[in-house]
Amino acid sequence: MKYRSALFAAAAILLGIALAPGAIAADLTDVGYVDQADLANLPVFVNANGALAADKARLDAQFNGMVKRARSDAQRQQLAMQFQQQYTDRQREIVGPLFQRAQLAIAAVAATRNLSIVVDKRIVIYGGQDVTKDVEAVFSSSQAIVPPSATPPPSPIGFVDQTALDGIPKVQSANNAMQQFETTQRQIFSAKMAQARSDSDKRQILSDYNKTVTDKQNQLLKPLVDQTRSATADVARKKSLILVVDRADVIYGGTDITTDVQNALGK
Amino acid sequence: MRSASSALALLGISAILSLAGCGPNVHSASVRGTGYVRLDEVVKHHPLYAQLSQLDDAIAAIDLRYAGPQVPLGAKQMAAQTAELNRELRAAQIRANKVLAQKQHDYEVRENQAVQSALAAAGVHGEGALAAAQMSNQSAQQAQQAAQAANSDYMAYQQNVVAQDNAASSSVARQLQAQAEQKYRAKAEQLQQGETDLSLRLTQQDATQRLAIKMRLSNLAMDPAARKQAESQLADINAKEAGEVAAQRNADAETLRAYRAQLDKETGASIRSQVGSIQSQTTAKLSEHRNEVTAQLRGIGPAAPPPNLSPNVQAQIAKIHRQFVGQFQADAKKTIQEYNETKSDLDQQFAALHGADVGATGAAGKELVSLRKRRGDLYAQIVGQVQRDAAHIAQDRGFSIVFVNIDAAAGGYDLTNQVIKDVESQHE
Repeated sequence: MKYRSALFAAAAILLGIALAPGAIAADLTDVGYVDQADLANLPVFVNANGALAADKARLDAQFNGMVKRARSDAQRQQLAMQFQQQYTDRQREIVGPLFQRAQLAIAAVAATRNLSIVVDKRIVIYGGQDVTKDVEAVFSSSQAIVPPSATPPPSPIGFVDQTALDGIPKVQSANNAMQQFETTQRQIFSAKMAQARSDSDKRQILSDYNKTVTDKQNQLLKPLVDQTRSATADVARKKSLILVVDRADVIYGGTDITTDVQNALGK
Repeated sequence: MRSASSALALLGISAILSLAGCGPNVHSASVRGTGYVRLDEVVKHHPLYAQLSQLDDAIAAIDLRYAGPQVPLGAKQMAAQTAELNRELRAAQIRANKVLAQKQHDYEVRENQAVQSALAAAGVHGEGALAAAQMSNQSAQQAQQAAQAANSDYMAYQQNVVAQDNAASSSVARQLQAQAEQKYRAKAEQLQQGETDLSLRLTQQDATQRLAIKMRLSNLAMDPAARKQAESQLADINAKEAGEVAAQRNADAETLRAYRAQLDKETGASIRSQVGSIQSQTTAKLSEHRNEVTAQLRGIGPAAPPPNLSPNVQAQIAKIHRQFVGQFQADAKKTIQEYNETKSDLDQQFAALHGADVGATGAAGKELVSLRKRRGDLYAQIVGQVQRDAAHIAQDRGFSIVFVNIDAAAGGYDLTNQVIKDVESQHE
């Protein structure tokens, strides 16, 4: 009898622990993902990309013809910018409307399924809701897509815009310095490589080059990367987020903490 | 009663085991069924990572080898390599033209067979069929002869224009290099003259003082201490002059080094620009001529059909002809594209030979493409396996979602170490 009571008590305690408030919470089930590669294979996207590629080839040929006649680096740079702008305009013209429709389709499906965030398939390796086929069906329908009336529910998954963080002056300056260092070192080690006599010489040169670059990266970039990661995690904790991903992987919804991270890094 | 107590015992044991076992509370407020894996870290522990690193090193070595300006070659080496490139280009032309001629022949045979079948299906026999077949044969023969003539003409033209292109490019490169050498020599002479002038000026400047000391030294009655002092003064003057001239010489050597670098850069840019311009003119000429030839060949249509064929049959034969011409043109386009890719690579090698930085070309370029593909395939294989392992672990432990490549975590559960153990244990 004593034995049975003890067991009963132990079970009750364990159940109590398991069910204690705060120890359990609803699992994250409102995360959807889209296979963007699959979406890009829809005939309408394939055709648009084909047209864009043809335009790019035409613009490249024009650019190559003109850049040879340029008299200075400044002229060449101006030409490069001019052609890049033309290409961007064509991209906006040809692919822009399709992207808009795809965005609307994703928003509509997310609203129907009550998802707080839709991400790219590449970053989900287990679980989540695959909404690719639903999105393709809405996208391919002949009807106009009505944007959802409500904004997505708040998500415990945050995101940061890495491009915006790269624009912070100290990050930008470190990146530029690193790029310049790498260019110079490539020239130096390339000349050494060209004169290398044996495979073992080449291996040694490559190893020296890798070490030189890695050391510089550790000196210039690693402290900033660590600082950014720590600031991002701090902001995430304050906002009760679970994880933070890159903006490039988020297609719809999510919690944008870019400005908070920028502020934490002191811009 | 007994079964109730057993159930309680089991519950107790399983609860204790689950607490002791244990790992994270997957469903806690900070985890909420969410896991993440640091993919880069796991990939480093994969048994195939060593192979991946080897491929990375091989790619980096080729990239590095072709990253900077190449060591300048002597005139003999340059001529030999130019001749080799020209041989490769001629071989590519001959190959492309042979393939085109063969394809043209094959399409003509197939067109002929299609015409025969169409005539048979339309019930045209005897003289009508014979006439139509003859017409098709005659047309095919004429087209083949014309195409052969045009191809041979085009090939001769190609060789001529490419030879002119290479000669012009070599000449431009030689001229620009000679100009640069002349400028360098002029600068060196100018600086040398400056050094001579400085030396002379210093000598003149110190002449009076030097003469006075020498006169004092010529006095035989001079006491040794005064003689030593005078000699020391003279030595100081000489050392001062020599020092100033040496400093000037060092500064000039530095100026010359910088000037050489500047000239090399400018010459390289001019060669690239002018050779590029010559090559684009060549491409335009070849393309114009090719278009002319194509237009001429297109003009050689089928011979007029015999009048005794019905309009329907005539239309059908014309349709077959159009269809095969279209198919041939599409097929020929691929061969021409392959030839153009080869030519473009040879052009790049030619430009590299004359000092342009164009990256890896030729065999190295092909090797680079192949290595990158192998690297991509191997990486995909590794990541695929890591993802499968992570998915199994996630399922076993009751996670609802697992991410990879996250930026930061304030909660969730890091599955990286478990996945690493799993990946490693499978290959022990």
